[in-house]
Amino acid sequence: MTTATATALPLFEPAQEVAGRPSFWSRALHSPTFMAGAVITATIVALVVLSPVIGRYSPDALDPLHPLSGPSALHWLGTDELGRDTWSRVLYGGRTDLQVGVLAVIFPFCFGVFIGTVCGYFGGRLDTIVMRVVDVVLAFPFYVLIIALVFAVGVGTHGIYIAFGLTDWVVYARTTRSATLLARNLDWVAAAQGGGLSRARVLWRHILPNTITQAIVYSMSDIVIVILAVVALGYLGLGIQPPAPDWGSMIYDGQNFLQNDQWMAVFPGIAVVFTGIGLSLLGDGLADVLRPE
Amino acid sequence: MTPFLEVEDLVVEMRRHGAAFRAVKGVSFSLERGDALALVGESGCGKSLTLRAIMGLLPSGGRLLSGRIVLDGVELRGGLRGRGRGYHQGERMSIVFQDALSALNPVATVGSQIAEAPRHVLGLGRRASVERALELLHLVGIPDPERRYRAYPHELSGGTRQRVMIAIALSSEPALLLCDEPTTALDVTIQTQIIALLADLRVQRGLSLVFVTHDLSVVSQVAEQLAVMYTGRLVETGPTATVLAEPRHPYTAGLLAAALDVDTPEREPLAIPGSIPDPLRLPSGCTFHPRCGLATPECVSTDVFLAPVGFGHCAACLHSSQLAAVQGAGRA
Amino acid sequence: MPETVPVPGAVPTTGTAVRPGPLLELDKISVSFVVEHGRVLRAVDSVSFQVGKGQVLGLVGESGCGKTTVAKCVVGQITPSSGVVRLEGRELGPKRTTEERRALQMVFQDPYSSLNPRMSVRHVLSELLRVHRLVPPGGIEDRCRELMGLVGLPPDALGGLPGQFSGGQRQRIAIARALAVEPRVIIADEPVSALDVSVQATVLRLFEDLGSRLGLTIVFISHNLAVVRHLSSRVVVMYLGRVVEEGNRESVFSDPRHPYTHALLEAAPRLHQTELVQPVVKGEPPSPIDIPTGCSFHPRCPRAEDLCCRERPPLEQVDIGESHLAACHFRKERFADFARQASPGRSEDL
Repeated sequence: MTTATATALPLFEPAQEVAGRPSFWSRALHSPTFMAGAVITATIVALVVLSPVIGRYSPDALDPLHPLSGPSALHWLGTDELGRDTWSRVLYGGRTDLQVGVLAVIFPFCFGVFIGTVCGYFGGRLDTIVMRVVDVVLAFPFYVLIIALVFAVGVGTHGIYIAFGLTDWVVYARTTRSATLLARNLDWVAAAQGGGLSRARVLWRHILPNTITQAIVYSMSDIVIVILAVVALGYLGLGIQPPAPDWGSMIYDGQNFLQNDQWMAVFPGIAVVFTGIGLSLLGDGLADVLRPE
Repeated sequence: MTPFLEVEDLVVEMRRHGAAFRAVKGVSFSLERGDALALVGESGCGKSLTLRAIMGLLPSGGRLLSGRIVLDGVELRGGLRGRGRGYHQGERMSIVFQDALSALNPVATVGSQIAEAPRHVLGLGRRASVERALELLHLVGIPDPERRYRAYPHELSGGTRQRVMIAIALSSEPALLLCDEPTTALDVTIQTQIIALLADLRVQRGLSLVFVTHDLSVVSQVAEQLAVMYTGRLVETGPTATVLAEPRHPYTAGLLAAALDVDTPEREPLAIPGSIPDPLRLPSGCTFHPRCGLATPECVSTDVFLAPVGFGHCAACLHSSQLAAVQGAGRA
Repeated sequence: MPETVPVPGAVPTTGTAVRPGPLLELDKISVSFVVEHGRVLRAVDSVSFQVGKGQVLGLVGESGCGKTTVAKCVVGQITPSSGVVRLEGRELGPKRTTEERRALQMVFQDPYSSLNPRMSVRHVLSELLRVHRLVPPGGIEDRCRELMGLVGLPPDALGGLPGQFSGGQRQRIAIARALAVEPRVIIADEPVSALDVSVQATVLRLFEDLGSRLGLTIVFISHNLAVVRHLSSRVVVMYLGRVVEEGNRESVFSDPRHPYTHALLEAAPRLHQTELVQPVVKGEPPSPIDIPTGCSFHPRCPRAEDLCCRERPPLEQVDIGESHLAACHFRKERFADFARQASPGRSEDL
């Protein structure tokens, strides 16, 4: 049986294009979630970074003539009971909080991803030991651990960094380990090893880019978690110590004035909420954009 | 005589990544009682969706836009939400899927799954439905039915699981059996057993059969009628033997030329140039034209429909007579 | 292409050209796992065969027969419990050297999991070329283009990620990856089973091409007899971890000497067959944990006798001097006259 249509095979298929994959930025620009998150976060970061410029007063400057004043031309967001300008304090407080948030997450991220990858790939005794440690840490309620550690190590930012460093890595370790376990059995890993590439190369250059996505996305919301924890610590006097402004202590201080001078607590609160929204949307958006389809 | 099953102008819309497209475009066919039709095509041609549309079990994202399905004179309306057909007396059809392991409930014994329809659809009592399940296990050729009744799907081998699926399908006493690639995942020696079983059941129970597959080489053992699908449309229909011996659509001819036959190893398989188009960006006119050696400008501009090319044999091609001439010349 | 391979143990007669040994040799490879309750699962049981340079060896069997496990032993992914793999006479140990790993490359079945979703084609190929210093740094891009050309893909495919390609194209990329390291043997594990029919033809032609043009040695694993018969020059049939038949393609296919091979041939679907094929074997393969005594095929075998239950038949020549081997007590019998022509069967309504 012959057919007029199927030809002796040209292995080449010139008519067929390889559908181009839009670049990262193109995909990012088309993801509403990512854009929303990026815009909000970028705005907040910009404002906070520019605080010396747009903050009209020093955060510690007292204006004894206008304590507890509402929003006005002189003080855009009002003043607290000591006459300190709320707008400036929100901006400088943002600096403190965002800085602490990001720095407190970096070490857990790096260490957690590293140890999770190693455990997932090699298994064995190391895996067993590390996972038991993870189980122990996760067994404690998060805030209990943080508070206990800050209390033990000492208050202030260094205490916060140490407390998070010791406890926050477990989530990254676990998610990365699961992702690595899954990836380890896939054919393309076998192919990479079979191609004569060293195990280290396969692990860090081939497997890791595929397993790190969840960790990256989680780190965004982790920053928010840290900021909220710092706020909570502030309530117990274990947070950022005065006179450095931070949103948590501002909200705490403003509690007493909620009846009449709500702005003292409300504005920092709004700042926390917006930061949380921005980072969460950014994290979600990243998850979408990083998916390798 | 009105046909037993009549499918008219079925149109199914699918949504993928937010874009909607017609995965099944105006498929029509009919089947006499006791007959079998093989629906053949490659991945993405819409054959499984056609089956599911008939059964009322479209996946999420799928929507039946239009079409009539008449079974034994009764027009089938949309099933109740979440339930396929076969759950109502009078809509007497069942479906057998490709992968028994994912189609069976992993936490229920196979016996209870077979007994479910007799109990809840046919209204038999508990003991009677267990009896019926044991009968069916025996009917589908599973040895030691009492012991197997209590087995869980993962404890059984692939072929046995497929037989269980067939037993479940038979348990609601259907007149029509829809099979979606039931032997594709099975070893070839087991495949012959399942095909023989289906043939037996057709004879014993007068079952009608619609058999979806991508494997042209099994259809001649399974069904007397053959329908070939490409990008959601039927491109050729007719008696199996005729279509396989004298295809009148270039796609069918291409599939046959690409197939390898174990008895003729010297023959070089010829690939069909190009590849299956993206359903969101289908070529105009006859969707096969970019890959077709007989294409003319007319093929690009006009929509092509099934037209008779022989007794009971239809093809959707403007140049089917030319194809016939080429084949005739090739044979001379 | 060499048609015959020296039979293990056969004494070469004078006048026969002294052949260098086979390129790839498996010598009594066995793989066992201990599963729950201390029972042993013998995935592969004493499998031996040889592949000559430039040959295409077809490894046939249904699911559970151990062919993928054998493939993994060859490339070193799994260490056999016993037995050795030899490349050009040299034994390959459990820890392979880089050269040894390069020499044996695998093409996998599932085109959707055999490529790193986050690596562009160029990255995959160039990394291999660089790490193994196969071309000077300036020549890497050119070599990548060459490799694309070998598998019939356009050069701008290099910039793409796997997600942008169809199944057939991904398999071609996988083949290009295997070729990049200049292997001696390619082990293709069901490379076309997951592809559409029209695409299968393309990839099969590619394998044929590579075999004839580049003189590649290929071990082609498949459950599809038609494909194996088309491509291979020598065939090995496996069942439940053991080799049951081995020989040149035409000997095995036209004159099978093991009932299982005969059953596979009977069961292979044929395009124009209108009579229903009656199954030759009953039942299903048992679990590899409970391999039957004696000949593992005897519970399903239409020819089985008491002897088959007691004694395991050795894999031996079917006739003196033949390179056709079968593991059946009745290997001297011809199970069917397998001269089936491609003429359509009688038209008979089912």
